[in-house]
Amino acid sequence: MELTKADEKKILVDILDIKKDILTMIYKTQSGHPGGSLSCVNIIYLLYYKIMRINFQNPTWKERDIFILSKGHAAPALYAVLSKFGFIKRDELFTLREFNSKLQGHPVKNPEFGIEISTGSLGMGLSVGVGCALSAKLDNSNKYIYVLLGDGELNEGAIWEAAMSANHFKLDNLIAIVDRNGLQIDGSTEEIMALEPLGKKWKAFGWEVIEVDGSNLTNIFQGFKRSKSIIGKPKVIISYLIKGSEISFMQHTREFHGRAPNKVEYEAALKELDNIKEELLGGF
Amino acid sequence: MVAEPTLRDTFGDYLIEVGQKNKDIVVLDADLSASTRTNKFAKKFPQRFFNMGIAEQNMLGTALGFAISGKIPVVSGFSIFTTGRAWEFIRFACHDNLNVKIITTHGGIVGQDGSTHNALEDLSLMGSLPNINVLVPSDNIELIKILEFAFKTEGTFYVRLPRGSFPRIHNNSYNFKIGKPDILKEGKDICLIGIGYGTVLAYDSALTIEKELNLSIKLINLPTVKPIDEEALISAINDVKGIIVLEEHNIYCGFGSIIARIISKEHIKKIRVIGINDKFAQSGKRETVLNAYKLNKQNLLRQIKKIIN
Repeated sequence: MELTKADEKKILVDILDIKKDILTMIYKTQSGHPGGSLSCVNIIYLLYYKIMRINFQNPTWKERDIFILSKGHAAPALYAVLSKFGFIKRDELFTLREFNSKLQGHPVKNPEFGIEISTGSLGMGLSVGVGCALSAKLDNSNKYIYVLLGDGELNEGAIWEAAMSANHFKLDNLIAIVDRNGLQIDGSTEEIMALEPLGKKWKAFGWEVIEVDGSNLTNIFQGFKRSKSIIGKPKVIISYLIKGSEISFMQHTREFHGRAPNKVEYEAALKELDNIKEELLGGF
Repeated sequence: MVAEPTLRDTFGDYLIEVGQKNKDIVVLDADLSASTRTNKFAKKFPQRFFNMGIAEQNMLGTALGFAISGKIPVVSGFSIFTTGRAWEFIRFACHDNLNVKIITTHGGIVGQDGSTHNALEDLSLMGSLPNINVLVPSDNIELIKILEFAFKTEGTFYVRLPRGSFPRIHNNSYNFKIGKPDILKEGKDICLIGIGYGTVLAYDSALTIEKELNLSIKLINLPTVKPIDEEALISAINDVKGIIVLEEHNIYCGFGSIIARIISKEHIKKIRVIGINDKFAQSGKRETVLNAYKLNKQNLLRQIKKIIN
């Protein structure tokens, strides 16, 4: 399994479309978390496109790999990716956060949509992943469990309880990904509750640590490949990326962690993404 | 006379029985398996037992993962640590209607371990969650019926057991029906509604109080905090003049508050609640502590007198 040049271009184009959908969803409902959604699109997209074993025709296929979005506030990213792969109708995306919408503010369990469990209260997903991984081992299943964590939620103690137990049970079918975008709501992660040296912490807990550049698709892809080749212990991929780096004026500011763009910002952001897409397609 | 086994021993033995029949059952404990008696299951089915260490949050989170993978996780530990420390994980089990069976021991007054280990708030913590079934048995027979029901019914359950034993009230023909009042004795003046040890106390006291005060007591055991068949409860207390609810729990936001809400839908009746009056209680022999906090016959007698006078 490799990521070809053609693959990479297709992914880049798809991801630009997904980012536009995310911004439109959040803009339309005037609420949501653009920063943390944009920063993990690459990861979620790659998981669904190349990494996870899933049956697009049968979302509840018993042998599927499991994805848990522990950082539930990135729901728009998950919904938009799921829509790209046909789990959710595209029209439905723009009902985000509205009353009676299946696309609640934070993900609500919906196996038909590929949403295995509700998330949103931070720090809970890794424990759930531990349970799924233990269950798979008990069944002699070779499925993988992927848990996407935010860096801010690593403040939660339950994460480290889960990290300790994953090592104890030697859960090599558990792969955590940390979206290391450096910002949480009130400020930078180091200012609010210092995480560094983050890699060493995971290593001390018995995890194999793989660090990748979250803006580089090939790099992330290689990280996933390497993680699957290591046996006998759980793996964490720390994906470094500057939060908001996809949109020039969102970069280096915590403002867009949990605020919707206004009309001017929304249009400027879309234009920026369109320009990148045009440039990219011109290069084909 | 053979002493009645503790409810936790009955639970431990039952787990082996149900675990034998259903291979999807897995058991998780937080370093308390000797106390909760899940060590019996662990010995018999080591592959399906997971000691999660002293980490209740991760234990419950792991249970959620098992549940979404199609397993039936049984989560055990001390009542207050399990429901208190891991409450939000339990909230998610309920939120997603997951098949998680939380069965804890050391509910209510634990005795010499004292206030830090008493569980006098767990029923309110659990009872405020939508979708959950909250059950408290009053003897071993009822416990078995509750466990049978919990394991054949999909959904989140909280079953609270005491540390010690309760005398036998029911016989094997007891027809447990979830949410329905179990009428142990008919009577027309005062109705005692008990849950768990509350039922034990009411049962032990009813006959002598009837004689002492020359009145007729109706006795209802209601082993569920939720669900409760509200119509059945309202019609069961239709004719009595006053009601006393007995619970081994804080009376603030406890079982009594729920019963009062239900009854007040249809009746204006005097209702008094006997339980722990907004205290954490303290160490001591269980009997001493129960008496000190007035969860005893004398207080029941006093409260009945207050209603009838």
